[in-house]
Amino acid sequence: MMLIKIAWRNIWRAKVRSFVVITAIALGLWAGVFASAFVEGMFKSKVDSVVEKEISHFQFHRQGFRDEPTASSYMAQGDEILAELSTDDSVEAYSGRLISMGMLGSANQNGSIKINGIDPEKEAQTTKLNERLVEGAFFEGIKRNPVLISKEIAEKFKVKLRSKVVLTLQDINGEITAGAFRVVGYYDTDNNMFDKMNVYVRDSDLRPLMKIPQGYHEIAVYLNSYDLAEQKAAEYQERYTDLEVLSWLDISLGMRLMISMIDTYLYIIVGIILLALLFGIVNTMLMAVLERVREIGMLMAIGMTKMRVFGMIMLETIFLSMIGGPLGLLFSYIFVEYFGEHGINLAGAAYEDMGFSSTIFPFLEPSRYLEVSIMVLGMAILAAIYPARKALKLKPVNAIRKI
Amino acid sequence: MSIISTKDLCKVYEEGAVPVTAVDHVDLVIDKGEFTAIVGPSGSGKTTLLNIIGGLDRPTSGSIRVGDTELGQMSDGELIDFRLHNIGFVFQSYNLIPVLTAEENTEFIMLLQKKSKVERNERVHALLEEVGLKDKMKNRPMELSGGQQQRVAVARALASKPQFVLADEPTANLDSKSTNNLLDMMLLLNKEEDVTFVFSTHDQRVIDKARRVITLEDGKIISDEKRD
Repeated sequence: MMLIKIAWRNIWRAKVRSFVVITAIALGLWAGVFASAFVEGMFKSKVDSVVEKEISHFQFHRQGFRDEPTASSYMAQGDEILAELSTDDSVEAYSGRLISMGMLGSANQNGSIKINGIDPEKEAQTTKLNERLVEGAFFEGIKRNPVLISKEIAEKFKVKLRSKVVLTLQDINGEITAGAFRVVGYYDTDNNMFDKMNVYVRDSDLRPLMKIPQGYHEIAVYLNSYDLAEQKAAEYQERYTDLEVLSWLDISLGMRLMISMIDTYLYIIVGIILLALLFGIVNTMLMAVLERVREIGMLMAIGMTKMRVFGMIMLETIFLSMIGGPLGLLFSYIFVEYFGEHGINLAGAAYEDMGFSSTIFPFLEPSRYLEVSIMVLGMAILAAIYPARKALKLKPVNAIRKI
Repeated sequence: MSIISTKDLCKVYEEGAVPVTAVDHVDLVIDKGEFTAIVGPSGSGKTTLLNIIGGLDRPTSGSIRVGDTELGQMSDGELIDFRLHNIGFVFQSYNLIPVLTAEENTEFIMLLQKKSKVERNERVHALLEEVGLKDKMKNRPMELSGGQQQRVAVARALASKPQFVLADEPTANLDSKSTNNLLDMMLLLNKEEDVTFVFSTHDQRVIDKARRVITLEDGKIISDEKRD
């Protein structure tokens, strides 16, 4: 107890010095943790957005379709799968899609796009596509061949609402075919790359063009829990061995990479900051030891063991870190919670061009705070070793001029 | 009964180009209850002799015994433990722990000895009363005068119930009044509680009150005067 008391009071002997170190630790940690929460929030919203708005939790395709998406690679048993999904309690929504890589032609321009043939009602339930409508109507108001395009495509091809566009694509026989469609509305997601590529038409309009009697190229399934994705994908894969049933993590390797980056980013950033702080603390504690050579010598002379002297220096370092650490974590928590609620608007910073939302909501798993605390404690112990060893090497007879 | 005895004690420093003999074949016996001053000019070896007696330094040859224990053969760890239980130290510049109060400074050594709280409280309060600082118990060293700090140092040295107290020029930084007060207090402890004190000093006031004065020169004892 006395050792704790001495160590605690010792750190307040040089108040300014201790204050500087504590502030450095607090600010360093705050910066590291908040930067990590920023990136984690950015990646998490990207992952959530990709899962909720693009991929869903798992998808069915015919083997090889993802590598070579030809019109003939459709799943003839599509309706059978949809019927089965409709009875699965863990499935919240599903959507069968016809997909074709094709060309969009307007009066001004031609360009390649991806044509998604959907059932608007099912798609709205699965990817909430209807919620991303910014102008026009969601497949309403135009009876024949409506097409939903993004604002980017509208600008690029210079088309307006109700303008006519021609979609050119291949049918299952490899023949080039085309259909005239009318723009029913514009959608907008946070992902500019996605927006520039995708247009939506009704599957019932696309089916005759592609000459596909029944079935789909892709079935996306949205579950009522994220955690079931891989398990459910595996279950359906067992049942439909001739198809490819993959969870979102296997479909988007980029997302898998992001998930693993989220896991390691915090350790890297906080680790680098702690390493820098470590040298600052070593320097401070070394000064504290060298200033007290005589006093430490006296303690050894009157009978304080080397272990206790070592422990005292160790405790002083740990106290410094354990004041600065929690303060830094508290600041981080306040900032992460506030901006996690209100978001940080970075519109114009080209985040959308990279497929990220322009409003970042910093996020940090609660368990991360504990992990960072353990890292700080580890750093404190590491920082204490050199000054404490220095103190141990003092010989009382030399440290106190004479007895 | 002898507490300290040295036989043919030598200490030679070989750090420079020429070896320096700081303590040269010293034979010395100090009995329980003595009030002894070791005097001599600078470089006479009194500091080295006291360091060896206090278990802070090792002799090059010869023997140093405290009670029945030969200190020369002990490891560093054993010496620390021995000092803790057997030797009280009073330093020239007080060397109290600045962050602890007078009471805590006195108690500290008993904590190292793992004494019970009751025993600690009792002894600390008795000692501080004896050195006349009961009303300054809660003061930290910087709130005390030099003389008061040195009294706390004496109380701390006695708290461990040592076999003897070694004091290095204890009055060097004190004014006359504080010196007299301190010496009177130590003499009282010596007389009434049979505490053995060994000083190194230049201070004539201390030498005048000592019951035995050992004079060193070039590491050798040149005189050993006992007074009644």
